[in-house]
Amino acid sequence: MDILERLGRIDNRIIYTLLVIVLLVPLAKPIGLPVSVGKYTQKSFEVMDKLQAGDIIMLDMGYSISGASDVEPQTIAVIKHMMKKNVRIIFTSCVQEGGSIVENLMAPHEKAGKKYGEDWVNLGYLAGGENAIAATVRDLKKAYPKDFRGNSTDSLPLLSTVKSVADVKLYIFFTTQNADMYVRQVTPYKIPVVGGLISTISLQAEPYVQAGQLVGIMSGLRGGAEYETLMKDPGFGLASMDAQSMGHVLIVLFIIFANISYFVQRSRDAAKRKKGA
Amino acid sequence: MTTNPVIWVASLLTIAAFSYLYKENEFYRAMEHLYVGVAAGYTMVMGYQNVIAKAWDPFTKKGQVIAIVPALLGLLLFAPLISRRYAWLRRFPLAIVVGLGAALHARSSVVQEFVVQIRSTMISLTTIDNIIVAIGVLSVLTYFFFTFKQNAVTKTSAEIGKWVIMITFGAAFGNGIMGRISLLIGRLMLLFRDWLPLVKTQ
Repeated sequence: MDILERLGRIDNRIIYTLLVIVLLVPLAKPIGLPVSVGKYTQKSFEVMDKLQAGDIIMLDMGYSISGASDVEPQTIAVIKHMMKKNVRIIFTSCVQEGGSIVENLMAPHEKAGKKYGEDWVNLGYLAGGENAIAATVRDLKKAYPKDFRGNSTDSLPLLSTVKSVADVKLYIFFTTQNADMYVRQVTPYKIPVVGGLISTISLQAEPYVQAGQLVGIMSGLRGGAEYETLMKDPGFGLASMDAQSMGHVLIVLFIIFANISYFVQRSRDAAKRKKGA
Repeated sequence: MTTNPVIWVASLLTIAAFSYLYKENEFYRAMEHLYVGVAAGYTMVMGYQNVIAKAWDPFTKKGQVIAIVPALLGLLLFAPLISRRYAWLRRFPLAIVVGLGAALHARSSVVQEFVVQIRSTMISLTTIDNIIVAIGVLSVLTYFFFTFKQNAVTKTSAEIGKWVIMITFGAAFGNGIMGRISLLIGRLMLLFRDWLPLVKTQ
């Protein structure tokens, strides 16, 4: 068996080990590869950067824990940005883990002095998927009689001026599911909508940006790194980009080697068959 | 090394999950069952809290009778467990869920996913991007003409459409790989930054 044949039959476990090594090395010793900013992340950043202190936005936490590594860096960056600008956030969630994730992400900001009920509220999870989103954006307090911490939503000062999503300056969602349901239910209210998506589904959401239904989108870990670049505040996203790039290089190499091996093997088999005939 | 028990548990379970990549083993199976159990438990608690906050409390504390109606309809889903004779009762909540969901979806999707999307492809052909969008849309649509025999022009267009579709699949697959690598990086960060302090980042 020559080297080309071996490359085509390489054991999966060797590929996994190589991938882990290739990802770990740049994490331990960053290379500092440049990160360019995509136009959709740029648009997302610009609309959020224009918000003024005291403005209220609604943020739907639609990602599950299993996809958090890809979407959370963007979420952390956006929350940090908004908190820095003293923009107030109403958190909702259409996934079960949403309420707990918000509590974790907001813990450092609460510690830093952001007041619950005035600067932010966590309304937690509302069952029903798209129906829940439709109910939330139509009448917030009716959909959520209580928040995640058990307070009556009538008692929260931040919600005193907000009846529906039309009363907030911007709606942003982070999701591992799809952007379609947000476009269907939120865009009719004619407020700017931004999406933070897991990489696997971001391509499907691009037509919505081109049609103007979404102002911008951020795609996975890369989107988080781009947002951190624009904020000039490096975090988990930028720290992971070298590893991400090196992982892609390794996968591209494997695809090339596997294809070379396949075509060489095929031509050898054809030659053997010809000889035999 | 951290003394945080949460990180220890998460890290050991991550290793148990990854051990499957070597081969199927007891640790992996135990972790798999634990995951299913914890997820089911969490779902039950969240469901219970939802019923209490959105139906029971408004009904008992504020006298909102309408709030209990969806919960009662939900109870009908369990009718087959009580008696096969009353199993038909579950059709009512199912019909409402399906009907409401479909109506809510259809109401907005006609405008947002059909009209607006069609309008956004009616663009002036003044830039390369716009020309590519127009050619892409037209050729892909031609590819899906099945009702009449294609001539040379539509055949060429359909062939271009096929390539556009394949390029789109390729881009989607690339995005998929990127997403999976990100998830792996997240796990590696847990193991080698939070658990074993070998990687030092923010």
